[in-house]
Amino acid sequence: MARHDDGVITVGRSRIGTFFANTTGIVFGLVMIFPVYWVLNTAFKPDSEVRSFTPTFFPNDFTLDNFKSALGEELFIPSMINGLIITAMAVAAALVVGFLAALAIARFSFYGRKAIILVILAVQLVPFLALLIPLFLMLQGANLTNSLVGVALVYLVLLLPYTVWTLRGFISGIPRELDEAAMIDGCTRAQVFWRIILPLTGPGLVATSVYGFIQAWNEFIIINTLNNPQKQNLMAWLLYNQTERGTAWGPLMAGAIITSIPVVVFFLIIQRNIATGLTAGAVKG
Amino acid sequence: MHAVDSRPNPAEAPQAPPPRHVARVRNRSQRDSRVAWLLSLPTLAILVAMLAYPLYRMIVLSFQNMRLKELFSGKTPPWAGVDQYTKALTDSVFWGVVGRTAAFTVVSVTLSVLAGLGIALLMRRVHAKVRLFMMIAMMFVWALPQLVAAQSFRWLTDSDFGVLNYVLTELGFDYATHSWFVNPWEGWAVITTLVVWAGIPFLAISLSAGLTQVPKELLEAATVDGASAWQALRNITLPILKPLLMIVTTLSVIWNFGLFTQNWALRDGHPEPVYQTLATFSYTQAFGRSNYSYGSAISVITVLLMLGVMVFYIRQMFKIGEVD
Repeated sequence: MARHDDGVITVGRSRIGTFFANTTGIVFGLVMIFPVYWVLNTAFKPDSEVRSFTPTFFPNDFTLDNFKSALGEELFIPSMINGLIITAMAVAAALVVGFLAALAIARFSFYGRKAIILVILAVQLVPFLALLIPLFLMLQGANLTNSLVGVALVYLVLLLPYTVWTLRGFISGIPRELDEAAMIDGCTRAQVFWRIILPLTGPGLVATSVYGFIQAWNEFIIINTLNNPQKQNLMAWLLYNQTERGTAWGPLMAGAIITSIPVVVFFLIIQRNIATGLTAGAVKG
Repeated sequence: MHAVDSRPNPAEAPQAPPPRHVARVRNRSQRDSRVAWLLSLPTLAILVAMLAYPLYRMIVLSFQNMRLKELFSGKTPPWAGVDQYTKALTDSVFWGVVGRTAAFTVVSVTLSVLAGLGIALLMRRVHAKVRLFMMIAMMFVWALPQLVAAQSFRWLTDSDFGVLNYVLTELGFDYATHSWFVNPWEGWAVITTLVVWAGIPFLAISLSAGLTQVPKELLEAATVDGASAWQALRNITLPILKPLLMIVTTLSVIWNFGLFTQNWALRDGHPEPVYQTLATFSYTQAFGRSNYSYGSAISVITVLLMLGVMVFYIRQMFKIGEVD
């Protein structure tokens, strides 16, 4: 039975077949990555080269002008700051509120626990855009449109179910014997929380907040609906910029890169959690 | 987003101490119960205020007639009974939107699941370095924010300076200054490509993780017994993969049925009637035409249509809930 050096079974598989598979794999990878490459390629080209009927597959005149002009756009920096403020508020609130609920369902057995778990899981299915109309009217009534707090409130709800569910997983992973040992040694429940559970959930808190950051940072429809152009985040700026300015492709792609970098970096750090988080239910069920 | 994580919970078992100090135990469990509810209270309050109540408001709104006038005056909108629903259900435009959304969902989900499965199988076959390259490429695509991905496709298909037209023209087709969104079939082909392209990483990576659960011995035994690759796939791999396949397909249906970002961004925030889906249609009615009640009615109908698909997913959740 033939085996590759990397342990892949190759029984009954020809060399030609393997060559064909490798070629297909490489072509697939190149096709996948091409749009991403094209964004980068465009962002570093001068305008004359961007607006050329024969596009160059590598920038002839490498330039950072597009980044300068994106950063120089009137609303770019304010949008970035708005986005950071909103995201920070939503993520922090979701962590504090969600941690408490996660603690309850991970560490207490009580009447109604299963119901709470089901609610947390089910609300993740609510098509949020459908609720945008009543949410808009509610926030309008509370004078919270055109405010960063209003958007942060909406994002909080967007992040909360996921936050509770993931933190619950992390807390459950801490052996309960640790709690019990500490309690036997005279710790109160509160002390167990502060001295054992909270420190040990640290990595979980980081992973959860990173995912929350991505969610909140990527959102643009809600904020675009609730707020005027002065109170947008960077993602909404990308959309707004498109409709107002038309075809300033160079700066737009540069702006898109600046907007994406934190997301891509964070995503690559926690990708394992995302993949297992999305599908782990299938393996178990 | 839709986390259905459920880590094993070995420490859950010893819940009740030995039945001696029963009274004290009961006291403690009552206090525990109170503490637990207290801890869950903020979460529940927020979910009720920001999800349950808006859901209720949306349903009420769909039976009223809320326009700009009521929005500014704050008066209760006049009741309209089922007028909004009648308007939608007797409108051929609305049915066109429903049909388009459904057709797009079927086509895009089929394509992306098949492609994802194919790539996952291919990844088992290729050299480790090629596999790494495929993974890296997919990770970047997956990480890219939806709007940025949509903007990049808008640029690729730009009629004047887009690289797609250039390449096609170089290949001998006359696509110079060709506009991809004049013919809706072509426009939808672009949107579908974008959605499938962006959806493949999640599907291929989860399915390839699922494929590692298929015992190698089983496949080897089948091959020794003379099964063809196709037979091994059909009779061994796919049955083992089925639960995962169902979950990722359901998620894809839920996401693609709610298509908004891609057609919205590719059509500059003003999708023409042929590019409207249920999500953009409801949004346009509410916020473009200040027809909040009609938009709500469409949202309610959308949610009801979605429920059919979600039943499967919810059932899966009940299973998880029971295990806990």
